[in-house]
Amino acid sequence: MSFEAIAEKVRAGARLDEADALALFAEKDVLRVGALANAVRERRHGDRTYFNKNLRVEVTNVCVASCLFCSFAKLEEGMPGAQTMRLEEAWAKLEERLSDPPTEVHVVNGLHPGLPFSYYEDLLRGFKRILPSIHLKCFTGVEIHFFARHYGMTYEDVLERLRAAGLDSLPGGGAEIFHPEVRQRISADKATADEWLEVHRVAHRMGMRSNATMLYGHVETFAHRVDHMMRLRALQDETGGFQAFIPLAFHPDGNGMKKLPAPTAMDDLRTLAVSRLVLDNFDHVKAYWVSLGPDVAQVALSFGADDVDGTIVHETIYKAAGRTAPDALTTHELVRLIREAGRQPVERDTLYGVVREYPRADAPEAALKPRERAARHRLEVLG
Amino acid sequence: MSDAKGTATQPLRVSVVDYLNARPLFSALADDPRVALTRGLPSEVAREIAEDEADCALLPVAAAADLGGLDLLPVAAIGSRGPVGSVLLVSEAPLADLDTVALDLSSRTSVVLARLLLRRMGLSPRFVGLPAAEALAAAEGRTGAVVIGDPALQARAKYTHVLDLASAWMEWTGLPFVFAAWFARPGTVSEGSLAMLRGARDRGKDARPSLAREHAQATGLAEDALVTYLNESIRYELGEAELAGLARFYDEAHAAGLLPRAEVKLADVAAAPAARPPSLDGLLARAFDGDRLSGDEALRLYREASLFDLGACADEARKRRHPSDVVTYIVDRNVNYTNVCTTSCRFCAFYRPVGHAEGYVLSRAQLAEKLSEVVRAGGVQILLQGGLNPELPLEWYEDLFRWIKSEFALGLHALSPEEILFLSQLSGLTVPRVLERLRAAGLDSVPGGGAEILVDRVRKKIAKAKCTSAEWLGVMRSAHQLGLRSSCTMMYGTTDDDEDRILHLLKLRGLQDETGGFTAFFCWDFQYEEGTRVRPGDTGTLLYLRTQAIARLVLDNVEHVGSSWVTQGPAVGQVALRFGADDLGSVMFEENVVSSAGTTFRMDATGMEQRIHDAGFRAARRNVRYEWLTEPR
Repeated sequence: MSFEAIAEKVRAGARLDEADALALFAEKDVLRVGALANAVRERRHGDRTYFNKNLRVEVTNVCVASCLFCSFAKLEEGMPGAQTMRLEEAWAKLEERLSDPPTEVHVVNGLHPGLPFSYYEDLLRGFKRILPSIHLKCFTGVEIHFFARHYGMTYEDVLERLRAAGLDSLPGGGAEIFHPEVRQRISADKATADEWLEVHRVAHRMGMRSNATMLYGHVETFAHRVDHMMRLRALQDETGGFQAFIPLAFHPDGNGMKKLPAPTAMDDLRTLAVSRLVLDNFDHVKAYWVSLGPDVAQVALSFGADDVDGTIVHETIYKAAGRTAPDALTTHELVRLIREAGRQPVERDTLYGVVREYPRADAPEAALKPRERAARHRLEVLG
Repeated sequence: MSDAKGTATQPLRVSVVDYLNARPLFSALADDPRVALTRGLPSEVAREIAEDEADCALLPVAAAADLGGLDLLPVAAIGSRGPVGSVLLVSEAPLADLDTVALDLSSRTSVVLARLLLRRMGLSPRFVGLPAAEALAAAEGRTGAVVIGDPALQARAKYTHVLDLASAWMEWTGLPFVFAAWFARPGTVSEGSLAMLRGARDRGKDARPSLAREHAQATGLAEDALVTYLNESIRYELGEAELAGLARFYDEAHAAGLLPRAEVKLADVAAAPAARPPSLDGLLARAFDGDRLSGDEALRLYREASLFDLGACADEARKRRHPSDVVTYIVDRNVNYTNVCTTSCRFCAFYRPVGHAEGYVLSRAQLAEKLSEVVRAGGVQILLQGGLNPELPLEWYEDLFRWIKSEFALGLHALSPEEILFLSQLSGLTVPRVLERLRAAGLDSVPGGGAEILVDRVRKKIAKAKCTSAEWLGVMRSAHQLGLRSSCTMMYGTTDDDEDRILHLLKLRGLQDETGGFTAFFCWDFQYEEGTRVRPGDTGTLLYLRTQAIARLVLDNVEHVGSSWVTQGPAVGQVALRFGADDLGSVMFEENVVSSAGTTFRMDATGMEQRIHDAGFRAARRNVRYEWLTEPR
């Protein structure tokens, strides 16, 4: 299928198939793919670009799984670097932020074999007690699957009990690459593709929203990435419960695949653009700045992404894999990042309700003469 | 349209070229309280109208085309319908035997005209740009010279072969030639102002005898000849024939790739101010095809074109010059031989003042260690730059260069224009002489650093003690004339705005038209760090990509554009390869100036090549002349 024919399909709003997606990955001129994805993004969202005030908490890095790509997990309690927070420590992370409270707490953990289920329920209840309005987006599909097996419950039981304790939605982690050729190699001992998808199916059926990720840039091929997207698209057709797709770039430091080079920025942008084009039933595609770095995240906002995630704070998973992006961005920095990318910043809550709309950078200023505009810009910076 | 300009309280700012043949048009304005008159060389007049320091300008027509977007005022022209006498190509040998033509750089219009005429005659001598006095001196043997103004009036009788360019144009086209005219930005000049300029023209024409007398007294030229020149050779009317002649000149120059496409657009003071601009798509199509852009057109694209359209045009421009899809990089090392500097630029975190405890000058032993590492790592050159250290005389550099050249097989890419000017001041020698001595000692090429923004309003704010834009360009001109190649750069993102950046690019393009000495262009944004005294202005990754792309489009005469991963990071450096760059710069061991500003990135040759491949290109190592040292892979 020629690029022009694919572009024609996109313009007509027709669905792309696997062959189309592969052709887009193979297209040498990334700008062409980007421009197409940008058109779709602008059709859906115009210039609006979302971020939220969130807080990342990773309460334990003890994990029974041994994923090759992971620099975060420690296999057993007591191993060097192994850490499990007391509940008070986890809650304190939120208490510290109450002067400028986040709207979301995002919890992702290792699969800890030694904690009682009540630990997680108490964790959620504590957060809600501290800040009743907080949205709790906690535990990946892999964790929910682990809880079900480990504590002898169904997915429904696990999700019901956690929801009763305060769980509002599921993050999209743990999806990695679904295809068994890859999943067997990099993360054989945790939820399979079908199990991960089933957790999300159940959550969606119960009325919970969730996200979906894809960890790319290691041993997988473009075909595996396309397969991954197709499986997500199929489930989304069925449930409509996914909010955002978040491609995550593999970072090679300190893990079982450290000999591999990290994917380059071109691959990051291409992957975002293709996912925007293929996942026609996802509302949002996220440029996760922690993984991309703020500079590439800016460019990504023209390659299909309409969300940059949030203020983060305390992220440790990519940090362990050698990320160079900063630990946190303030609201001000996120707004500036989005504006410099020529977009309109919109602070959202987890379910994409609008918290605050910021004006576009150049909207009021476009009417001014260039010299005056420059002077004003400088005043803003100095002030 | 109401227009308050042109009153005693708000005078019309008028900028004029101060040539004898222009004086009849503006001499009567000198004492008019409704006018603020400034006189200068063509380059200065062009700068003033470009930087909005003048409302209207008496400007050579080539400069007006380069800037673009200006209206021709229906007032008067400085033209000729036959021999003009003051714009000549002189030589000892017949035209057909010339192998070189020296061009007097002060008139772009005459230079373009000369090139058109020679081309039409089927002649293709080499062109060398020189200051007015030197151009004439160079006219010996098989070297001819294009001379204008007073030197031309005197030169006529001294040479065997004289081609009067206006006369040759008339013979070719049957049309008058227009050298200069009144120009203004659309909507800035009222009917009242036009009437004022026309009144000045009429009074000025009557004053021609006295203007000739004054000039004769000042220069020693024959008064009679000057009266004849002003009364007969120069024609001040701007009628249908002149408009047709000018339009023809613009067409021919554009077709020859010497000027951006320019239209003769008469100012219509009654027109609605919001006339529809030409479509952006049309402009994009022309940019995509590699048509030369005027400053005005470039500014519009820079502001309004989408990221992808700009990228696609720049990528196409890259492909046109480098169809093999090879992206190069160099293995070299940046050695900052001293951090002692007298300039104290507000944006610099690297320098230390003279006498400061942290000031250093690298010893031979330290240098030897660094250079040996470069050789061992397969490096092919060093980039040697430093502060302006008054304790290091020219001889110190000569010794250093000779030592480096005798001990190491490395190219010497050394000393930015600022340092060369400083050595000229320190030694009391001219810039060309300093460059000659440095070249004799081993200098291979000159780095293009310190250009910052070549607009003096910006330079004064961020680097008061630094050279002016004209001085910077002058050093590069001298270097190129000696056969030294150089790169050119732009650091933006302080107090500059988009117009300043475009002007910067136009100045580089203008010099490159003269000398062809620039090998490559690099840009980056100001790297802010605590301790520097300049606040960041316009920055951001998208602006970087857009800026590099517009530079690739404007600098249609510069062979290479490099992306600056050292300042932007490897990720953005890679993405920029699709925005017009064909080079990824250097695998750097150290880069003290940028890293003191908090930007530290590292990348090895494997990382460079991986990124080049992943952007869809083949990679090749290069030397400073951009010759491939490895087969592309």
